[in-house]
Amino acid sequence: MPITYDIVRKAARDLYGWSLKKVPDDTLAALAEARTRETNPASQKTLDFMRAAALAAEREDRHACSDAGFPTYFVKVGTRLTLDGDIRRAFVDGFADLVATIQPPILKFITHPLTLERSYEGRDMPILSFDILDGADYIEITCSPKALGSGRWADLKVFSYPKIAEIEEYFMQCVLAAGSQHCPPVVIGMGIGGSFDHAAKMAKRATLRRIGSVHDDPMVRDMETRLLAAVNRTGFGPMGTGGDTTALAVHVDYAHGHGFVPVAVCFNCWINRRTTLRIADDGTVTRVE
Amino acid sequence: MVGETVLLDGEVAATAGLPAHQRLLEALDGKRQMPFPLAGGAMFHLGSSCREEAGRWLPNYVNPTTSTRFDAFMPRIIRELQLTSIGGKGGMDNACVEAMKDAGCVYFSMPGGASPLLSNGVAERIETGWNDLIEQFRLSRFRLDGFGPVTVAIDAHGHSIYHTLQEQAANRLPDILKGLEEARRSIDLRRR
Repeated sequence: MPITYDIVRKAARDLYGWSLKKVPDDTLAALAEARTRETNPASQKTLDFMRAAALAAEREDRHACSDAGFPTYFVKVGTRLTLDGDIRRAFVDGFADLVATIQPPILKFITHPLTLERSYEGRDMPILSFDILDGADYIEITCSPKALGSGRWADLKVFSYPKIAEIEEYFMQCVLAAGSQHCPPVVIGMGIGGSFDHAAKMAKRATLRRIGSVHDDPMVRDMETRLLAAVNRTGFGPMGTGGDTTALAVHVDYAHGHGFVPVAVCFNCWINRRTTLRIADDGTVTRVE
Repeated sequence: MVGETVLLDGEVAATAGLPAHQRLLEALDGKRQMPFPLAGGAMFHLGSSCREEAGRWLPNYVNPTTSTRFDAFMPRIIRELQLTSIGGKGGMDNACVEAMKDAGCVYFSMPGGASPLLSNGVAERIETGWNDLIEQFRLSRFRLDGFGPVTVAIDAHGHSIYHTLQEQAANRLPDILKGLEEARRSIDLRRR
């Protein structure tokens, strides 16, 4: 049995809907862990409130945030499976299904970049990114809604033959530019190298990595550890009103490129909305998170 | 006092929309009517969705939006309406802080993304104005009952937690960068 348009359409709808009403488990755990280290009493209260609100969202089937943003889907397609139907269209229609059925309803956030007109649909919406998984007999789809609150602070700079110190200084400049405004504590992604577009994609994908997971390259692992400590020394704190917890994680990835080195930095707000499922070649759907 | 955490009761005007801010300026210029009086009141940068139940409008969800989006509009709005409080997230720029000082106005930082608990502090939506706009862009009037906790992040005397923290982070940056350099060096030594 192939993976059909109907299965993918339902998956697209479900993933976006789930992501709006649940804070991922790794993020909840990271908040709890941050609470044990936080020394600022007001920030301890803020972290407690965040965690209680996140648990209430899941328990009471309520929106974590009023801003549903727009859905982005990261789709990994195995090479040992059969697809049937218009798969790209399935994501557009699944998004429309969610808009039509979710309770309480979501507000209009899809914004025309030139007229600023708002809608529930639009050109290239939802944002799709595809990758190939050699040898796999399943599709894995991750949905990550994105909104202005943390989205507007992403940045990209192209260096030529940079030293690591220059890359890390630029990263810190991005952190200071965002300051208190991106609903911290955030998850920060940084993509280094490759091409202009690839660096941005790596940064975004890095934010989707589970908090606590480790990069396979020790050089990157060390960089993530020291950058996380550096960010948390800035003092912006939960909701940017001061404290020790400005970031829950820093995730870095890199690709080989040329002498020019694009460096992209982006942020996910503390609710870190993300859901993932797998569709096997026989049509079985398994929710991963 | 800056840093103080409080719960709020009372009435507040709220919007998450640029168009509503543009219309507020037009109203101040006498080119448009205010949908309801705002002078001397509270105004929140807040997105919201409500449902009607037995003749009352109850919140589905509310959540702060980024206040700096409205920095260009707010000094005039604060001064000419003599607002007493603003609410939102992320703070506002120095021109707004100065206007708040002149008007005797404070800024409340609300937790973003904590909508289920924050919404519990909204008793009802009393009315909306400029209803040709989409729901979160309208000017809405809410009655709050134990809304928060919110943090006083800018006071009426020109003190801004955001300004202080930004300055503190900038002052710490040279040390932070030095710390990064030392961490890199110690890894290099370990690998040798």
